Amino acid sequence: MSLLPPLPVAGPLAVAGLLLALGHALPRRTPDVVALLAALAAGGVCVVMATQAAAHPIVYWFGGWAPRQGFPIGIGFVVGQAGAAFAAFIALLFAATIVFAWGYFDEVHAHFHVLMLLFMAGMIGFCLTHDLFNMFVWFEVQSIAGFALTGYQLRSSALEGALNFTVTNTIGAYLILAGIGLIYARVGVLDFSALQAGVARSPHDVVIDVSFALLSTGFLIKAAQVPFQFWLADAHAVAPSPVSVIFSGAMVALGIFGVTRLFWAVYAPAPEIQAVVRTLFLGMGTASAVVGGLMAISQRHLKRLLAFSTISHIGLLLIGFSLESREGLAGLFVYLAGHGLVKGAMFMVAGVLLAELASIDEIGLRGLGGQVWPAGVAMGLGGLLLAGMPLGLMGAGTDLLDAAAKAAGEEWVPFVVVFAAACTGGAVLRATGRIFLGLGPVAGEEKRAPTEDEQEKADRPLWVMLLPIVALLAIAIIGGGSGAAWASRMAVPFMQPDNQGVLGLAPFAAAPSSAPLHAPGTRLAWLSVALALGIAGFNLSRQLLPVGLPEIVDAMLKPVFAVVQKLHSGLIGDYIAWVAVGLAMFTIAFAWSG
Amino acid sequence: MSPKIRLLVFLAAVVCILPAVGRLALQMPAFGAHPLPYGDAIDAAAPGERHVTNMVSAINFDYRGFDTLGEEFMLLCAVTGTVVLLRGHRGEALEARPGIVRGRAIAPRSEAVALISRLTAPVIVLFGVYVALHAMTTPGGGFQGGVIIATGMLLAFFGDGYPGWRRVSNSKVLDAFEGGGAALYALCGFASMLLGLPFLTNFLPIGTLKDVFSGGLMLVENAGVGLAVTGSFLLLFLEFLEETRTKKPKDGP
Amino acid sequence: MNWLPWAVAAWLLGIGLYGVVTSRNYVHLIGCLSVVQAATYVLLLGVGYRWNAVAPIFYDHPPGTPSVDPVVQALVLTDVVIGATVTALLLAMALQLHKNRETLDPQQLRPLRE
Repeated sequence: MSLLPPLPVAGPLAVAGLLLALGHALPRRTPDVVALLAALAAGGVCVVMATQAAAHPIVYWFGGWAPRQGFPIGIGFVVGQAGAAFAAFIALLFAATIVFAWGYFDEVHAHFHVLMLLFMAGMIGFCLTHDLFNMFVWFEVQSIAGFALTGYQLRSSALEGALNFTVTNTIGAYLILAGIGLIYARVGVLDFSALQAGVARSPHDVVIDVSFALLSTGFLIKAAQVPFQFWLADAHAVAPSPVSVIFSGAMVALGIFGVTRLFWAVYAPAPEIQAVVRTLFLGMGTASAVVGGLMAISQRHLKRLLAFSTISHIGLLLIGFSLESREGLAGLFVYLAGHGLVKGAMFMVAGVLLAELASIDEIGLRGLGGQVWPAGVAMGLGGLLLAGMPLGLMGAGTDLLDAAAKAAGEEWVPFVVVFAAACTGGAVLRATGRIFLGLGPVAGEEKRAPTEDEQEKADRPLWVMLLPIVALLAIAIIGGGSGAAWASRMAVPFMQPDNQGVLGLAPFAAAPSSAPLHAPGTRLAWLSVALALGIAGFNLSRQLLPVGLPEIVDAMLKPVFAVVQKLHSGLIGDYIAWVAVGLAMFTIAFAWSG
Repeated sequence: MSPKIRLLVFLAAVVCILPAVGRLALQMPAFGAHPLPYGDAIDAAAPGERHVTNMVSAINFDYRGFDTLGEEFMLLCAVTGTVVLLRGHRGEALEARPGIVRGRAIAPRSEAVALISRLTAPVIVLFGVYVALHAMTTPGGGFQGGVIIATGMLLAFFGDGYPGWRRVSNSKVLDAFEGGGAALYALCGFASMLLGLPFLTNFLPIGTLKDVFSGGLMLVENAGVGLAVTGSFLLLFLEFLEETRTKKPKDGP
Repeated sequence: MNWLPWAVAAWLLGIGLYGVVTSRNYVHLIGCLSVVQAATYVLLLGVGYRWNAVAPIFYDHPPGTPSVDPVVQALVLTDVVIGATVTALLLAMALQLHKNRETLDPQQLRPLRE
């Protein structure tokens, strides 16, 4: 039996415990080195497991409690290629972030690194587990690490953002727990394979439907999808930039991964749940893509801008999931990786601006980016990738998502993708032009957006901060073709888990041979890039346009922006009211389709 | 949204959800009379296989011990987070007089409270150790015992005031307890792996039923959890009590 | 009366969320989160109940006596730890916020907006 599955989870946990116990006695940079090595080691183990899992998933029962006559009595890790690959991606992102944050968190001894290692261990455990309650435990571990890291800077806005984040996500966690209780009541076990058998036995069961709604709500709160997305911008804007890298790059994606995993591993046999996913989740993803895009354009605080862009792109992932097809799932995997890498790099650029130029306000930084021009190149490149340029992982993912949408008959989805990419890419390109090229003296809607005076410690050399940015963008660009091929192969066993094999009731069936998908690249990719450049160009050249034109466009768009801005009020009471609205949406969707 | 509109939106959502909740409540399995296969399987297996009589502990520290590892580190996470969040803004002088709030009368130290605290604190701590170590036979466990121990030690604050409390609490020692206890639990798992068994397999001799030395590795795991929980809660108490010192100026760290 | 435990759990969830939505003090809000958590306790423990059964501790009763479900009790133990830890974290945040802004009213505290 493979020895590897517990290592990427238990290893960082043990290292974190030891760091905490010995933290006071260690020399200055030791926690950074130890944390980096732990992240790289965990990533390496996950890569090895991903290759080993090609034939059939690696099954590991903790404590030696293998199933007895097919009844799972202990907790199992079932490491499929998709889970191992996502875990490896997470470890890579953490390694890059630890390099980026070298020496940043000096004053709290090893506490930052302890929290980061726990954050990573929780995420990796979430990806590899095959037990519903174990999934919840790792979900909570990484949630709490995130809560603790958000308020680090102790500014009043940081604490308010952290409070909004913590309260919203904790309610999500309690909803997940309620969902677990409900499905346990009906089926009586906690292992995915046994649960799926139970769901297949009782279709159209209201207890199972409600448990799916609660579990999905909890995960979609983490994934910041409409109507649960309000907390993300608040948390991102105030968290230290290394922490924001992880939030946008991995943590939010974890919510989508959770919903996807739960659906294919447990709930897929229920026809009414399939119907709700096809309709409600498609709608939620579209709404998130649109709202995120609109809000991104109307921000001046760079981290808030990027946070809304994350909401938009994760909305596209949710659309990919809702199509319930192999192309959609493969597109989700590829786009998830690409977006995580690019968005992580963008937050690192924001960190560079905060450290070197002591500001994060796009309008305030106009023209001041000259001394950190490599960051400008990175930001421009990232903006083009976010805008849908047919290059690398994001381009391949977009192609697969478009192909999946066409195959499912939803011809309008590629235009939503274009809209989201154009808005978010345009916002980032506009910011690049303004900060690094000094363009855009006249600001539009973004002038009225919330902002703050901020800075971060500048005690590490620029090249230490630029190195991970370059690395992440390079992987995002180079990985395109092979990434798509791997993802399309990983999607098949993800969608059709071999439950008999996992529970020891039958030997593992040979993995169905599956050729990689070929998604034709569409010309829509260049359309979104052109639109993004157009949006950026329009915003940066208001003073050059014929008099009256910018005013007319602004007047037309003002009501839209105003409504969306007003809803993002920053008040926790509003956010929880929207959570209730989300639950009502699930109720209506089930009533409609059941 | 204004508070009124927000409340209306919330109530409208609740009205939508109510029929579904009603239908759910009527369709749930019969209360008290539906099959519990997982619980019955463990009830049947644990006393014979692990010589323990407390099924909940058997689940927490053996059958689903991996969950408890995560839970353990969740506690570590939250306490580390609290320490990070409450850092700065206060001095370290032992002469500080916390708990002094303007406009509130200062209660004089009561000899009776001090005496009772001094008498009962060691008993409570001992009881906590008992609860922690007898997890395998009677209700209890590392979590419960650790909290009892921590609360017992808080009596030092009630009886002897802030200087008394500071004498018994030292954040470096508590960090070592917390991290060490959690690492001990993780190392139990690794010890199983060194013997070629799956992570967290119970490889120690499992002793006799109804004896405190039963359950094998569960006893060591319990000790680790008890240590970590004691350290965590005492650190929490320490951090929150420190906050009652006089405020420093509002500048950032 | 079979529906009563589930109705209680749903009521607790609803009233806890109502408290969070209309709260004017963060400490009160944190208390309402505890009420939401209590809903999950009631649900889980209600799921595990069995009529005329003993607690799953076989010290005084012989092994093999019908007992209530120990699995949900173990899950609730984890839930309690989560609740305690998150409450501590939230209270620490509220404390620091009060030091900074002298108010704990969620209506007046919005990140990045004065």
